[in-house]
Amino acid sequence: MPLVVRIPGPLRSYTHGAGTVRATGHTLAEVLEDLDRQFPGIRFRFIDEQQRIRPHMRIFVNQDQACQLDHGLRDTDQVHVLCALSGG
Amino acid sequence: MPLSAAEQARYSRHLLLEQIGNAGQERLRAARVLVVGAGGLGSPAAMYLAAAGIGTLGLLDFDRVELSNLQRQLLFDSSQVGELKATVGRARLLALNPLIEVISHAVELTAANASELISPYDLVVDGSDRLAIRYLVNDSCVIFGKMLVSAAIHRFEGQAMSYVPGKGPCYRCLFPHAADDLVPNCAEAGVLGVLPGVMGTIQATEAIKLLLGIGEPLLGRLLTYDALEMRYREFGFARRTDCAVCGDKPSISRPGQDALSAAPVTALQLRDLLRQAAAEGEAGPLLIDVREPREFSVGHLHNARNIPLGELAQRLPELTGDRAVVFICRSGRRSAAAGSMALRAGMQHAANLEGGMLAWAETIDPQLTVAPG
Repeated sequence: MPLVVRIPGPLRSYTHGAGTVRATGHTLAEVLEDLDRQFPGIRFRFIDEQQRIRPHMRIFVNQDQACQLDHGLRDTDQVHVLCALSGG
Repeated sequence: MPLSAAEQARYSRHLLLEQIGNAGQERLRAARVLVVGAGGLGSPAAMYLAAAGIGTLGLLDFDRVELSNLQRQLLFDSSQVGELKATVGRARLLALNPLIEVISHAVELTAANASELISPYDLVVDGSDRLAIRYLVNDSCVIFGKMLVSAAIHRFEGQAMSYVPGKGPCYRCLFPHAADDLVPNCAEAGVLGVLPGVMGTIQATEAIKLLLGIGEPLLGRLLTYDALEMRYREFGFARRTDCAVCGDKPSISRPGQDALSAAPVTALQLRDLLRQAAAEGEAGPLLIDVREPREFSVGHLHNARNIPLGELAQRLPELTGDRAVVFICRSGRRSAAAGSMALRAGMQHAANLEGGMLAWAETIDPQLTVAPG
């Protein structure tokens, strides 16, 4: 059962405007890989060349911050990707 | 000093609340709050704070009212297009509540003036529209020990959080750094006019709670709001011991000491630099105009080279050498992003023309045509 991933507004051009998408995986890394298969290029917007979460992007599993890509996931978890916003 | 009869009458609904009462209202009267940015967020925040009786309210914005602001910035009206926001905003706030003091700061917040502008206040409400300013405000609040209520918006989404010195994480603990070239702003992406009304009002609520010491502030909690879904969410985050400004060994100990910001250079300073170089027969700084080719073709500085911001990452290798680089754009925003990008890529000396071609045309060469953005 794919789990729910929330995409921040600035990256919804990759998901054809969708704010909620589904992806499969037992770890954050696997989910992001599946996401990239569905929406090519989106993973690189979250993760840099050194496989670190970019400093202006944060990933939360349910309400808690996930700092490592090997973070384990259950089907019922929700992954939220947040992006620093600049507008005022 | 006890509340006057006029204050008793004006704030009577606050006085009925046991969490505020006379003592709380006197506390609000004694408070000093600086609103950074009189835009979509700053408008409702400042109006509610003025109405609530914050004794000293600072309004900081160097911009002028534009017609496109009126879709969301309720501090202004149609007759004020072209006026300085800090000036007409102050008048509006005083009309709303003449019992308070409102100080207008019609200046840009910079690393150089951050101490002077922020130090006199107890709490800062950040409604700025640039990440560079957002980090400058955050770092200044940490360094000077000020409370901060920060919010940001994008299209239909908002984020808000609070910071209290020594009591929780700062904005940089959540997003260690970000550059304006990575994140679109309202002018580029659009924004639902009501959205900053919601988020700015949340900021005013948080500011009042923090000043009174009541309720549960957004400490270590990022509140997000999705207007399309009409859903609020909350995400927990902790203070980072390696935070560059509030961590155990901070690398930022004064405002603007963020290696990712290009040095600002004013139009007058740049003119003098170019004159001096010409007089001494030297090449002077390399002028890189990062606007789009259509804007560049309308008018540009003598000897400037055009590398649009979108191509800069690939073309940075063209800029190696000993010459300092000054990035230029229409208003200084894209060039600041270009400077950050160049510094991140390892360039040693990058500067940014403050106010861009608009500032150059205003102070140096009124004959120069600046293409619309």
